[in-house]
Amino acid sequence: MHHQLLRILALLFIALVVLQSILGGTLFIVLAGWNPHDIVLYYSQKSLHGLIETLAPHTLFISIALMGTLHFLGFISTISEKQKQFFIHLLFGLFIVDQSSPIFINLGMAFFVYVKIIAFVGFESVLGWMWIVMFRESLSDFSLHR
Amino acid sequence: MVIFLLVALVLNGVAKGIDFGITPAMWINTILGNEVEFIEPLGMSDLLLSLHTDLFGLILIFILITALLIRTSRAKGFKITVLLLGITALLLYGIGLITSLWIGRVGVIFSWGGFLLFHLLMIGVALDVLILLSRKKF
Repeated sequence: MHHQLLRILALLFIALVVLQSILGGTLFIVLAGWNPHDIVLYYSQKSLHGLIETLAPHTLFISIALMGTLHFLGFISTISEKQKQFFIHLLFGLFIVDQSSPIFINLGMAFFVYVKIIAFVGFESVLGWMWIVMFRESLSDFSLHR
Repeated sequence: MVIFLLVALVLNGVAKGIDFGITPAMWINTILGNEVEFIEPLGMSDLLLSLHTDLFGLILIFILITALLIRTSRAKGFKITVLLLGITALLLYGIGLITSLWIGRVGVIFSWGGFLLFHLLMIGVALDVLILLSRKKF
């Protein structure tokens, strides 16, 4: 019974983080737009103070959200320790690239808009894959009887 | 830390009371606008920004308070119920507010309920943790 409730709890927490990501993504599209040209224009007009104002809370939140999510990897046996370390480093790396790209766009390096888009899509995809790995393991008998 | 989190919850509630109002009717007027009273509805970007930053703080408060709760001597069933209620209330607050753009008043009322439930629940749990800490029942 408790295992079932914990599984629901994990799913609800994921839903909460997904909701927060969707809100952030929608807000970004509403403010900056869809296409790379609009995104470059949006970041070019921002001041350094404005960029840091967005960067600071995101760095704090993502560190805590990733820590909360990824500590469950410790209980996963379907992937090796090396794979776990690789995915954790990859997630933090993609996040740093995604969040620092606007600074380079603001400095006139417009091609960083593609770096940002690739890093963002990569980050969301890897995080989504990690959730699938964790959820699949939680469904297996092995994890239930440990 | 628990005292600071309690203060943060109260301040967040007061700030929301000033921004959106206290009753569901006041929330509806602020978010959806009111033609009779010449109140403009809240713009989509303002609504998204308010919700995104608010959820950020509330999720952190939730993680910190429940991280303390799970280390207390309370029954496992109680802890899971609090966690389930807390996350559901936060989801209700967020989803209700964002869907109010399409479903109107019902969304705002759900959101108001979620916000109130989350704050009351977290204040209650924080006080409980504080009492347990003072009695050294960890």
